[in-house]
This record gives sequence, C-alpha cells and structure tokens, in this order.
Amino acid sequence: MGAVLSRAAVAKMPLLARWRNWAPVAVLFALCALISILSPNFLSLANFVGILNSAAIPTVLCMGATFVILMGSIDLSIEGIVAVSAVLVSLLVDNDVSTYSIGLLAVPIAILVGGAMGFLNGFLHVKLKTPSFMTTLGVGFAGIGIATTILGGFTARISDQSIRYLSLGRLLGLPVAAWIALGAVLLALLMQERMRFGRWVYAIGTDEMTARHAGIPIERTRILIFSIAGMFYGLAGVLSVAQFGQGHALISQGRLFSTVTAVVVGGTSLSGGVGSVLNSVIGVFIVTVLANGMILTGVPPYVQQGVQGLLIIVAVTLALDRSRLDVVK
Amino acid sequence: MEPVLEIRGVSKAFPGVKALDNVSFSVGKGEVVGLIGENGAGKSTVLKVLNGIYKPDSGGVFIDGMSANITSPRDAFDKGIAMVFQEQLMLPSLTVAENIFLGREEEFLKYGLISKSRMNVAAAIELSKVRLNVAPSTRCSELSFADRQMVEIAKALSLDSRIKGDVTILLDEPTSVLERKEIDLLFEIIKDLKQRASIVFISHRLEEVLAISDRVYVMRDGKVVFETTAADATVKGLHQHMVGRQLHNEYYREARQRHPTAVPVIEAQDLAKKGRFSNVTFTLHEGEIIGIAGVIGSGREDLAKCLAGHTAIDAGVLKIGGKPVSFRAAYDATAAGIGLVPSERKIEGLVASFSVAENMTLAAIPKFVSGCVLRFALENKTARDWVDRLKIKTPSTGTMVGSLSGGNQQKVVLAKWRVAGVRVVILDHPTRGIDVGAKEDVYELIRDMTAEGLAVILLGDTLEEVIGLSSRILVMRDGEIAATFNAAPGNKPTQVELVGHMV
Amino acid sequence: MGMRDRLQAYVPAIVLVALVAAIGLYDNTFFSSGNLLTIFADTMTLFLMASGVTFVIMIGGIDLSIQSVASLASCILAISLPRFGFGAVPLAILGGTVSGLLGGLVSTRLRIPSFIATLAVSGLVLSAAYWLSAERSINVSSEDSDRVLGWVVGETAGVPNEIWLGLAVLAILSGLFGLTPFGRLVRAIGSQERAVMASGIDVNRTKVAAYALSGTMAGVAGVVMGARLGSGSPTLANEFLLPAIACIVVGGTAITGGVGSIWRTFVGALIVQVVRIGMTFVGVSAFAQQIVFGFILVAAVAATMDRGKIFVIK
Repeated sequence: MGAVLSRAAVAKMPLLARWRNWAPVAVLFALCALISILSPNFLSLANFVGILNSAAIPTVLCMGATFVILMGSIDLSIEGIVAVSAVLVSLLVDNDVSTYSIGLLAVPIAILVGGAMGFLNGFLHVKLKTPSFMTTLGVGFAGIGIATTILGGFTARISDQSIRYLSLGRLLGLPVAAWIALGAVLLALLMQERMRFGRWVYAIGTDEMTARHAGIPIERTRILIFSIAGMFYGLAGVLSVAQFGQGHALISQGRLFSTVTAVVVGGTSLSGGVGSVLNSVIGVFIVTVLANGMILTGVPPYVQQGVQGLLIIVAVTLALDRSRLDVVK
Repeated sequence: MEPVLEIRGVSKAFPGVKALDNVSFSVGKGEVVGLIGENGAGKSTVLKVLNGIYKPDSGGVFIDGMSANITSPRDAFDKGIAMVFQEQLMLPSLTVAENIFLGREEEFLKYGLISKSRMNVAAAIELSKVRLNVAPSTRCSELSFADRQMVEIAKALSLDSRIKGDVTILLDEPTSVLERKEIDLLFEIIKDLKQRASIVFISHRLEEVLAISDRVYVMRDGKVVFETTAADATVKGLHQHMVGRQLHNEYYREARQRHPTAVPVIEAQDLAKKGRFSNVTFTLHEGEIIGIAGVIGSGREDLAKCLAGHTAIDAGVLKIGGKPVSFRAAYDATAAGIGLVPSERKIEGLVASFSVAENMTLAAIPKFVSGCVLRFALENKTARDWVDRLKIKTPSTGTMVGSLSGGNQQKVVLAKWRVAGVRVVILDHPTRGIDVGAKEDVYELIRDMTAEGLAVILLGDTLEEVIGLSSRILVMRDGEIAATFNAAPGNKPTQVELVGHMV
Repeated sequence: MGMRDRLQAYVPAIVLVALVAAIGLYDNTFFSSGNLLTIFADTMTLFLMASGVTFVIMIGGIDLSIQSVASLASCILAISLPRFGFGAVPLAILGGTVSGLLGGLVSTRLRIPSFIATLAVSGLVLSAAYWLSAERSINVSSEDSDRVLGWVVGETAGVPNEIWLGLAVLAILSGLFGLTPFGRLVRAIGSQERAVMASGIDVNRTKVAAYALSGTMAGVAGVVMGARLGSGSPTLANEFLLPAIACIVVGGTAITGGVGSIWRTFVGALIVQVVRIGMTFVGVSAFAQQIVFGFILVAAVAATMDRGKIFVIK
C-alpha cells in the first residue's frame, strides 16, 4: 500500500532520476554518431528530411500511447483505431471507390472517430472492470474488422490533393507531416504539464490509492485518457492515408510494436507514473534513426522487428522501477 | 466549550477482528492529544475513521459538536481534518507544489490551465510553515526522505489556510522515520501550530508523546482504557495501562514448556538489513521457542522474512545446523529446513481454491510423486492422518481450504510444514483472526512441535502470547535487539518489563 | 468450488450445444456427417494453437507470440523437408519450444510483464522466420508431403488424422494438467503465486516450462498448418492469435489464472469454430466476423475474470 519508500531507497533516487532522463538522449547521440561513421549519407539534408517524414506518424501515435502507459495501462488497439480512421478518410475524400469528397473536413471527423473508439476502450475497461490489455486487444481487433468490412476487401486510392499535401507538402523546407507532428507534441505537452488530468495521470500511474484519497476522479480520468489517445491515433490515420495515398485495413500493421518500443525506449516506465511525452519523442527518434541506419548500412528490413524486440527487452530491463512489482505476470 | 473533533461510541470490525470497540475520545481547540497503545490496539484505525478511510459500524464523528458523515479523505479535508500517514505517499514524479495541492488544483486554474507560478507561490507559503527551504517546483524524487516527510506535513497543514473554522491534523507515527534534529524541528512546528489547529499524535515512543501532548489516551484491544493529562502521567503508569490483562498460564500450556536442548539449529551473527534491522545475534536450539516482541517498525517482521528466505540480508552470518547458508529465495530456506507460517494466511499461507490435501502437500510435492505422476492415494492418506492428529474440522481432505474457518486454515498451514519435515517453524502472528478455542488448539500444536524436537521462532500477536509460549524472549526496537529475557515456566517476565524496552 | 463455479463450468458446453442446435435449425445440411467432420478437423488446428497457451494463461500470463512461432515452425518445416524428411517435423516443433523458452526466460529472469516479453519475442521470431524463408512463402512438394506428412493430412478409419491428433493432444495435455506436479503448480501459481513461493517452490521453473509448452504447441500447430496448406510462410498463422486467445477465454478459463482446464479450451475452440461457420451460414461476411470476435473476447473475459484477485485494474 502506498509508494512505500525506505530511507535507503530514497537516498539513491536523486542521482538515478537524473541519469534516467538523459540516458535516452545519450543513446540517440551515440546512435547518430555510430551511423554517420558507417554511412556518411546519414548526415545529408535529404536523409534528415526522410527521417522526419518517417518519424511523423509514430510521434503522433506515441503521444496517445504515452498518456495511457503513464497511467499504468496499455493500449493494444492502436492499429485497429488507425485502420478505422484511415479507411474512413480514404472513403470520404476524392477517391476511386466512393463518391464522397469532403476534403480536409475528413481530418476532424477522423479525430472524432478515433476518440470515439478510444472512449469505447476506456468505457469497457472501467465499467466492465477488465484489464486494459484485454479490452484494447478486443477493440483493436474489432477495429481492424470494421475497417475491412467498410472497404469490403478493396483498397481506396485517394486523389484529394489537400490530404496528400499533409504528407507530401513542404513548409519552410520541412514536411508538413513533421509540422503536424510537432503540433501534436506541443499539444500533448500542454495537456501533460498544464491540465489537471495530465498531472492526475502521474498520480494514478504511481499509486491509485493515494490518487483516490486526494479526491481525483479516477474512472473519469481513465476514460478521458483513452479517448484522447484515440484522437491522436485518429490523426495518425489521416497522416497514414496522406502518406500512402490510399486507405486499407492493414495500413498500420506493425505500428503497435514500434510505438510501444519507442515509448519504452524513450524512458517512460511500463508500470506507470514515470516518463513524459518528450521522452517518447526521443524514443521515436531512436527507433526511426535505427531503422534508417539499418537501411543505409544495407541490413535487410525484416531484421528490424527482431532488433526492436531486443530493444524493448533491453529498455525494460534497464528500467529501475520494477522493484515495485514483486509478482510479475 | 465544544471539542473541535470528537468520536462517540465508535465500533469497527473487520473479518476476524474487532478493531474498535465503543471508542470515544475528543480533541479540544488548540490541543495536542496523544494516542498510545500496543500493536493492534486500534490507534491507526481510529485515525482512519476520522480521515474518512473507514466508515464506523456504529457510533459517530462530531465536528464542533455537530454530527459529521465523512465519506473520503478528500471529504475529511474539506471538513477540516487532514492526516499524515505512516507510509510516505509523496508522488515522486510530481513537484512539491503539485503534491501539496493534489486533487485541489481548481483554485489555480486560469482558462482551464494550471498556473504553475500561482501554485508555486501558494506552495511556498505552506513550505515556510514547516521551515522547509526547498523550491516548490522541485520534483519530489529529488528530495531527501526527511524533506519529503516535511512536505507531507505541509500538505496536511495547507488545510489551515483554506478552511474556515477549526482544523485538526492527524499524525500517525510521524517521527518513526525522522532523525533527532528533524524530530526537534517537528515539535517546534507542532508548538507553533497549536495556535491555529488541534493535533492528534500517535507514536510508540512514550517520552515523545508526553513531551508534546496536552492529554493522552491509552488504547488496548480496540478500547480506550485510560485518559490522563500529560502532566499527571508517568511512563511506568502508562505501560501498565497498555498491557493490563492477567496471564493464564494454562492457556499457553506452560506446563508443557520444555527446556530446550543444547543442539543449535539456527545461529545468527550480526545479521543486518539496511533500513530494517542490524546487529541481530542469537542462537535457536532444538525444542526451543524464541519469541520476538516489538512494535511495527521494530524490524521483527523483516527479520522473520529474512530468516525464511523471502528477502535477503545485507550483512551477517547465518548458520543452519552448523553450516553457513545464503538464501536466494524461500526455496533455499525450505531446503534448509525452515518454514514460515505467514501473517497473511490467505495470501502467503494457502492456496484458497485448493483442497486441504493439496495444500498440505504443497511444500513437499517431491515426496508425493512417482515417475511423473502425483500419488493421490498417498496424498489423501497423509492428509487424513494430519487432519486427525491436528483435529482439523473439515468435511473431507478434498474440501476447498478457503471454506474452512480461520483456525482450521491455520492448522492446515502448520500441517504443511510438518509434512515437509522442517526443523524450524517461524510463526508470524499465528493466532491473528482466530477464535479463542482455536487459539488454544494452536498453542497445543506448538507444544507438540517442540516436544518432537522442532524449534520455533514466534512473532506473537500479543505480549501475553509471546511471554506465555516462549522459552526466551528478544525485544526489538527500532531495528535492534533492545533486551533479552529468559522465560522459563514459573519465572516469566511481566508485560510491563517488555513494554519498557519496546517503546 | 461453490455452486456458482460448478454451474459455470458447464456453461460453455451448454452454449456449444445450443449454438449447434440453432444453426442446425436454420439449415439442416449443417448436420451432415461430412460437414461435421470437416468442422471438427478444422477446429483441431485452432485447438492445437490454443492448447499450450492455456497453461500460460492459467499461470496468469499471456503469450502474444504464438502466431509468429507457428509461422516460424511452418517455415522450418517447409525448408527442411527436402533435406531431413521426417526429421523436419521435430525440428520445426523444436523451433517452437526454443521460442517459448525464450519468452519464458525473458519474462521471468528479467522480470518483464509477459505481454511485453512475448511481444518482443514475437518480433525476434518474425525476423527469424523472414530470414529463414528469404521473405517468401515456400512450397512443400506433393511427394514430400505424401511421404512425410501423411499422418497429418490423411485419414484413418474414415476420420481425418487431424482429429486423431487433436484428441491425442487433448488426452496428453489433460493428463499433464491434472495428474502431474507441473499441472498442479500451474494451477497453484495462477491462483496464489505468493503462497506457492512461500511454500518453498521455485515458481520461475514452472513458469518457464509453461511458456516452453506454449511455444511447443504453437510449433505443432505450425507444422499442421504448413502440412495442410502445402507451404510455409512467415505470416502463415497471423490470423490465429485472436481466435486462439478467444478459445481459451470463451471456454471459461479466466485470464486472472488459476481456473480452467484443457477441456475448456477444447470446448472453446469448438464454440469459436461453430460461431464462425454459423456466421458464414447466416451470411455475415468474413470481415465482420472479426468484429464480432473482438467483442466476444471482451465479453468473455469480463464474465470469467475474478475481480477479487486484482485490487487495481490497470
């Protein structure tokens, strides 16, 4: 009960906390240094722009996922929600399958749909008192199913230029998608630091009992966080359609894995209460730069998953808060 | 004048134990009231009722003479009551200011966003009340232990600038984690506070309580047994009230207490665990019962867990049967012949959904395996034998253990270790939550065990139990062995003698 | 076991019978023996996948790597058949065992929650499968198949061999579960791990064994899938993760652990299969079926889990 801390444990804390915060940045720098030695192309502007482009969607996804993980839960529905959002967008704008053409109006719709599915995640989790990994697993699979059903097995290729601009366009030399991702980060940061529920997420993730005693509305906050996460995934869905020029149900296959990897590698703890969205941004860059580096140095693409798997294991192992979990399931 | 805070006739029961029995006490304006008593006397429970964590089964809480229904700690706060807990509840990832105002951020909202500067300014004011020189924007993870405790106290004190009317601060063992000069500082703060607030103060250190309180209540077995002003009280007198009851030597089967043999089973030399206990040295012999007395925080529970292999010791030498050992986990301890009967029976002692037979054989499964398959017939026979020997009341050996009464469950746990053939049994609060008749059965069983040459380490529920059962008693205080008593039958130490070293 | 628990044990079987009856009423060609045998045979693959994971869920963990492991096994099978003949089968299964062991070790030694550990191992296994198959699917020639895999794809006594295989696995694993110390410890750890630890048992050993078993059965499933489809590929079993978990949970095994059995998984597999076929009969598209499964999963978990066990639901 409580975050019971002995004197000895606390005495060690200050140094470790500082180390933890800077380790991911150090890792990123080391990685960049290593890759630029192995392949000088890494340091070119074109490559940098490419990295930003690759990192945009994962960043947006991580903004949502970070909040959920900070709270001590997990969200396995990422791919499903992105799929639904992407498929809807692809069918609502100029495309080769349906006759709708609502242009950029699809963006807020996608975000709302994502939020609705996130709401469902939170609602089922709270009201049915079922662990988040199960409810999000179910909703995620249902999402893929919904997306596939709506498309009926087709793929909708879009021709709406305003949507494509979101990914292909350039603003001040950098991809629009990167700017949007930056906006997402700033918004997430604002929510995390200056909104009450952002602070409450840390409380709930560290010690739910203390949070409850303080009068924090736990259930409402949980549902809210899952909904907000869903909205970020919805936005990522739009960007995915923009990037690939088409919408289909498996458009975000593999994203769950890379998102969780990025969050964990960035230094946010899986048990909750420690970390931040900025940590996740660093994590995204570590994962993206690593993938980029592997391509530049000629490593086959399928090795990436294996490397990410190793990365997760190393990152979680090095996380120093597991002493709180005495029985790990 | 109406007391600021009062409880009248409050009772509270939990499964198996009556924590509070018709308790009444009051706190006047600007008064410091001390609450003392042994473990399990009900002190913390009283505070938790005041703080809205528990609802009383009967009786009521009165604030300024009017009946109050306190539904949660937050509600208590809004009504003028704040509590500082024994365990630290500061959230490390949040700043000092955020911790102080956790859940109450509305007052700092501007256009829906928290104004950090306003919150920090408000926090600084609260921090100055506890003379803590720390920036409100510091993350709690970067503060020292003592500083965090001060922030906890500041958090409770922030009450007084926010609530109109009288406020009461409840302090549950605030000093047990502080050092001398921090305690002195705390006392100065309390003296300052008296002008604005009333205080209820729990501590196991009697001199402290007497030094700071105006009035003192003594609790025992969930009842208030004595009330006095600090000026009129003496430490010895208070000890007497804390212990009270008469010993019945038949109850503890003193006649069956054996003289231990000279064969050492456990030899402990300077055992230490950082922050829990140190300099623990003793020898346990066959047929001996060593009782360890001590309040919460004395280190005795941690020592028991270390001896059973659940946690590691940091220093010292442990020898079992003459051979030095180092336990990686409980399985090493059981291999060495040590079994722990845990205080949390349902969580660590038994698998509730398993049958009596399955539980009894759990620590000795290899004995019941032939090839790769379990020998159910042998298991059932063994279980039946022990059910008879220990007079366990159960419909059959296949009955789910969770449906048995507490006393019978405990007998199953004891049987488990007998089946496993251990040499040492560590009993951690063995009669907790068990009715009187079953307790006597358990004492009988403990005597049976020593008669067969087993050795026992006992962490008793009550001092009486420790004195009645043990051949020797170690009293622990703040992590060290404060005193040792011989407890031969007919020549037992008194409870008062023990308490003197515990508090 | 109270009255409620005992009744609850029969619910899945009742549901199964009700479903079969309902579909049969709707369209009585459903009851033709050829049809029923085919359904039964198809169910076996799913059951094989789910049988090992049952042990992992019983200890309170989860294995999110089984689909990758099964796919890997199919790749190993397809690649080694020409060279090793029948030896390819144990080799493929061994691949599954090793993967399971890895997941178990990572989870227990490094103290990482099982869903992350197995998710990570899934990535490693996937990479291995891609590397092994050089990113394409590998065909099993029909002579090789006849020679070596007849025991999987053929028939004996008029009944498809998969059914015999499934029943054999059911018998063996049920025995393992009910008659051996391993099975008892699995149940105990899932019910009350701390009590098992306090009783002096090395729980990590049992846990790792459970994960190894899960990987092994996924390997067996991969071999059977590869044999039936006549090819091995790194994504062969991707569709099977959700239904496998669904079988276990729908059959009545709680994800909180400690309650359940292999029989329940078997019944659950039949229910899942019948629901799937039933939906097709009734005209629900294959895609929509996945939505239904998602929600069935959540509902089944919510109904079976023991909330008394978990203080804080995260």
